[in-house]
Amino acid sequence: MSSAESKTAKTLAALDAAQAQPVTALFAEVRARFDAEAAAAHDEASWKLFRDAWLGRKSGVLTQITDNWLKPASPELKRAVGAALNDLRAHVEAQIEARRAALEGAAEESALARERVDLSLPGVVRPAGSRHIIRQVFEEIERIFLQIGFSVAEGPEIETPYYNFEALNIPEFHPVRDDMDTFYLDLPKGAPGQLLLRTHTSPVQIRTMEKQTPPVRVIVPGKVYRRDNPDATHSFMFHQVEGLAVDTDITFCDFTGTIEYFVHEFFGPGVKTRFRPSYFPFTEPSVEFDASCIFCGGRGTAAGGGTCSKCKGAGWIELFGAGMVDPAVYGFVNYDAAKVSGFAFGIGIDRLAMLKYGIDDIQVLFQNDVRFLRQFP
Amino acid sequence: MKVVYNWLKEFVELTAPAEEAASRLALSGTNIGGLEQGAQGAVIEAELTTNRPDCLGHYGLARELSAIYRLPLKGVAPKPAESAAKAAEAVRVEIQSPELCGRFTARVIRGVKIQPSPAWLRERLEAAGVASINNVVDATNYVMLELGHALHAFDYDLVRDHRIVVRQAKPGEKMKTLDGLERQLTPGMCMICDGDGTRAVGIGGIMGGAETEISFSTKNVLIECAWFEPVAIRRATRFLRLYTEASTRFGRGADPELAELASRRCAELILQLAGGELLAGVVDAYPGKRAPKKIALHRREFLRIMGADVADKEIEAILGALGFAPVRADAQRGAAGSLLAAWECTQPSWRGEVEREIDLIEEVARIRGLDKFPPRFPVARKAAARLPHADAEERLRERLMGLGYREIVTIPHVAEERNELFRPADAAPARLANPLSEEAGVLRSTAAVSMAAALEWNLNHGQRSARLFEIGRHYRLEGHQSVETRVLALGATGEAREKDIYDAARAYSFADLKGDLDAAGAFAGGFRWQADGAAWLHPARCGRVFLGAQELGAAGQLARRVAERLKLRQDVFLAELRLDPFYAAMRAARDARRFAPLPRFPAVERDFSLLLADGTPFAEVARVIQSLGIAEAGAVEAGDLFRGKNVPAGKYSLLVRVLFQSATGTLTDAQIADFSGKIVAALEQQLGAQLRAG
Ligand SMILES: [Zn+2]
Repeated sequence: MSSAESKTAKTLAALDAAQAQPVTALFAEVRARFDAEAAAAHDEASWKLFRDAWLGRKSGVLTQITDNWLKPASPELKRAVGAALNDLRAHVEAQIEARRAALEGAAEESALARERVDLSLPGVVRPAGSRHIIRQVFEEIERIFLQIGFSVAEGPEIETPYYNFEALNIPEFHPVRDDMDTFYLDLPKGAPGQLLLRTHTSPVQIRTMEKQTPPVRVIVPGKVYRRDNPDATHSFMFHQVEGLAVDTDITFCDFTGTIEYFVHEFFGPGVKTRFRPSYFPFTEPSVEFDASCIFCGGRGTAAGGGTCSKCKGAGWIELFGAGMVDPAVYGFVNYDAAKVSGFAFGIGIDRLAMLKYGIDDIQVLFQNDVRFLRQFP
Repeated sequence: MKVVYNWLKEFVELTAPAEEAASRLALSGTNIGGLEQGAQGAVIEAELTTNRPDCLGHYGLARELSAIYRLPLKGVAPKPAESAAKAAEAVRVEIQSPELCGRFTARVIRGVKIQPSPAWLRERLEAAGVASINNVVDATNYVMLELGHALHAFDYDLVRDHRIVVRQAKPGEKMKTLDGLERQLTPGMCMICDGDGTRAVGIGGIMGGAETEISFSTKNVLIECAWFEPVAIRRATRFLRLYTEASTRFGRGADPELAELASRRCAELILQLAGGELLAGVVDAYPGKRAPKKIALHRREFLRIMGADVADKEIEAILGALGFAPVRADAQRGAAGSLLAAWECTQPSWRGEVEREIDLIEEVARIRGLDKFPPRFPVARKAAARLPHADAEERLRERLMGLGYREIVTIPHVAEERNELFRPADAAPARLANPLSEEAGVLRSTAAVSMAAALEWNLNHGQRSARLFEIGRHYRLEGHQSVETRVLALGATGEAREKDIYDAARAYSFADLKGDLDAAGAFAGGFRWQADGAAWLHPARCGRVFLGAQELGAAGQLARRVAERLKLRQDVFLAELRLDPFYAAMRAARDARRFAPLPRFPAVERDFSLLLADGTPFAEVARVIQSLGIAEAGAVEAGDLFRGKNVPAGKYSLLVRVLFQSATGTLTDAQIADFSGKIVAALEQQLGAQLRAG
């Protein structure tokens, strides 16, 4: 027990302090003792002991001073002792609170340091799904055409020669049939006719016009089949989006305007378009549609010099065939060719996806390797 | 076709560089595959569409360029010297099948000297991609490349009786063609025969015979220049799988009028190259001669189709240059630009495919330039609609993606052997008559077979965990009809949870598949599961999926037998559901959905720890509890399940949690105790369940 501590257990009289001066010295002594002990309260437990030692109601130092110094003090000393005690109390309370705040802050800091998340660690990884790239392109094209009034239609993949060829103005032995090598089904004996895998989505043009009168505006996404040996650019199954618009006032200018709109929506407004005359039995005039090469900006030269590999230096990429509906087709669906006109197109989706994403082998689209699927979330 | 640019210049005085001419051709309908510079100057690779047989010769492309550049096209008028002796006395021609052969001309040249061709001819042919053979054969090829009409030269002395008979092939007839192969013929093919017509010396329009071929000992030459019916040629080439320069030209429709001219041009060349004496005149059997067709073009119709006008003068210049000889034929003749203007055109013999007004419109438009018709944006007059099931399909797709499944797209052609592993016995497979290989011989009878293949691919490529789905079709036959059914296939293997720093790994199990399917089924009011599955599923880990009374399909672990056949070394889970009834139920469920007021009084949970005999399904427990008709008893859930340890053999322990809730007040302990007592009694009585302590 230090001398300062033992002093608060005695009265002022016992301490021989009848004057103001020794009282002041006594208070200074107690205060110095407090300050020394405050510095030693370095954690919550020692802080609590420290607080109770000074502010405890029963035997705290301040209570002792009140009981032993203030209460028995002579009337002439009482005032000075009271003032000094108030000063001391204010100091003790402020310091104890400050000490608490400091200790709490330090504890919080160390707790945070312990609990801080490591942002370089991954979160909990939940399995993520994805749309197939072909589906993504279908949806993009659907969105573009829905906005301009094209409904979506569909049709069977197993077709009759009538819908796949004849009604599209491709009679048997038409030379175009040589370019569309066709899968046929092996039907049981006695079948009334052949069935084939559609070589294009165009049969749905006929099926749609059979069902409704003009105006007609549809697109038809779907699978098509041609009997080509598979390689990096050929698959015997691939995807098309057919388009058909028939009305009483549709002209070639409406056709090119629609196609231009589509290409600007799909590839961006900077892409230029070009229509070259071509030939398809079910359209006339027929065109091949080209867009300026999106890889070289139509210049034909690659960024690092040399020929652009995507357009082979042409500056143009052949995108798809299209044209005004051949009047002969209207004959098959009981439309009056003298009153209606329209256009049709067939967009190859796989090629479009391959172009857009730089895929160099069509086979990878249908192997469904998760490392491929993951790349198109 | 390889086009020698300098050759074109013999017919049109072109000044444009070859590159420019090629690009103008490309923009007027001749697809250009490339351009190369060689010893003969620029050679353009022209890819002709099948409707333009007239451009399968340099003269035809020269005509295109004359129309494009508005330059005159020079005529071709060969005048070879003729001897006094007449061709008609040296050769006779009889066409017995005019439906196959519309014209047959013959010229005879005596005393030729067969030898290699001079350098200029060899080089030009080579530049055009044709190998030089000898001067006479080269002359026929040169004329074919120049005028686009195929010819054939016979050794005159080998033609029996100097007589040509054109007839149909006889059933079972055979002949040896120039390429040395024996060809099996069928009726409908046009045969060039000699003598009494029994011996075939050529398949008309396709290939000559070996027996009358020109050789270095040939002295006298018979030049055939004919015209054959295109459909018959195409039918024959397809049957014979024999595609030649001649069959391409005749098959697309040659110019019958050109036959005599081409023959004369060929005779001129042979005289120049091989000497000899050309017999006077031509033997010309021409049963197929037709009067030229008249075709009208109206400005009104042009505008209706094209949407922008072309001036009278330009219409006339274009059609004139292409040989259509347009003549104004309307009452307003002379009034330039009249909306009522009409032209009467004459179909040139080399443009057999131009028969209608629309064909003339295309001719004017393509030469005028398609870029001259300004793009315009048409206004829609009807609201657009997606497919009726588009919304349901999209919600299903989003749900599956949210559950971690990746969409796949597959080719439906599969090997029959694989298809059989999954095909239901009552489904007739849709086999292909002409598959590319046995590996792709049948259209899948189920989507599960493709899904299994996709999982197999991933396992074989080091991808041990995958969750995949496909929204596609399967293909079956019903009698002579094909049936395509929209289906969902789900496939998963590997880990449902991968090990990471937070959690342990967990293998994908039947419960994952069921839970994920049920998450989708919730859209349609919930699936009902029934024991049993398809034959391709593991008998103990599979189930059939129903909506109401309607079966949608099956789900479960792939049967070991099938997994072994596919060499799959880890567990694979598959499901296949029909989508049309699912989509319909989704719509119905959505329409029927109503808000249920939120409960105002607290719910109380009670757990019942039961010992049950193996084989007593959870559904039975739930049924017994629900059958008590306690209105306050809500959801019945399975909380925990285990076997072994303190559980006797033949039994299992099931923790059942029942939720009690009242709409009218807070439940008291006495009420709950009463409900619990009834439940325990019923389970003990009806299922022999024992309540476990604790
Ligand atoms: Zn490019």
